[in-house]
Amino acid sequence: MSESKTHKKRDIFVEGAIAPAFVAESIAKHATQTSIGGHEIFLGQVRADPVMVSPSYHDTSVVAIAYTAYRDMANERMTAIREEAFARWPITCLHVHHSLGTIAVGELCFFVFASAAHRQPAREAVAFITDEVKKRLPIFGKEILSDDTHLWKRNA
Amino acid sequence: MKVLLFGMIAEKAGAASLEVSASSTTALKHQLETRIPDLDKLSYALAVDRVIVNDDRPLIGTEEIALLPPFAGG
Repeated sequence: MSESKTHKKRDIFVEGAIAPAFVAESIAKHATQTSIGGHEIFLGQVRADPVMVSPSYHDTSVVAIAYTAYRDMANERMTAIREEAFARWPITCLHVHHSLGTIAVGELCFFVFASAAHRQPAREAVAFITDEVKKRLPIFGKEILSDDTHLWKRNA
Repeated sequence: MKVLLFGMIAEKAGAASLEVSASSTTALKHQLETRIPDLDKLSYALAVDRVIVNDDRPLIGTEEIALLPPFAGG
């Protein structure tokens, strides 16, 4: 069934990191949808960004990101982004999950998954969703650094 | 009215929300800028009922207000 036709309230947020097993299970759930010819996935992973802290200019790096969100607004905006994607591309399914709480470097914090009959719409939809989530959803990230200080992450 | 605070703004205010009474978004911003240290120096957006508002508009007091620092999802 096309998910664009459903209007149930969705919550993209999950507490903690996204487990690789959850990604595998999400893929497996689509085995019965035989009109699908391709899946496209983006997985965001917390990166150990090197940080130069002023004024002492000592080197430190990100060890984790603590995510919070204005959950209701983020989910409302995600519904609008999802509708834009379904209007633009012939995709069968679209799933988006984002972590809340403290996610360590190397762990997954963001999972975008689109399926379609053919690869191109799935690819383009995932690229669009990934960019729009970063730009438009009120999600906040506190970068915890190795020297026990922190910085507030800000998307470009 | 209750104003929800997030991220670095909640950190600066030392609270997840503030109780404020204001009859317009401009009046609300002025009040919040006196109560939250350095808010006037930060880049932030004001959301009224989960929609970002840039212009001045009246408030009746039942709205859901939030102050949003720069987004960092993904």
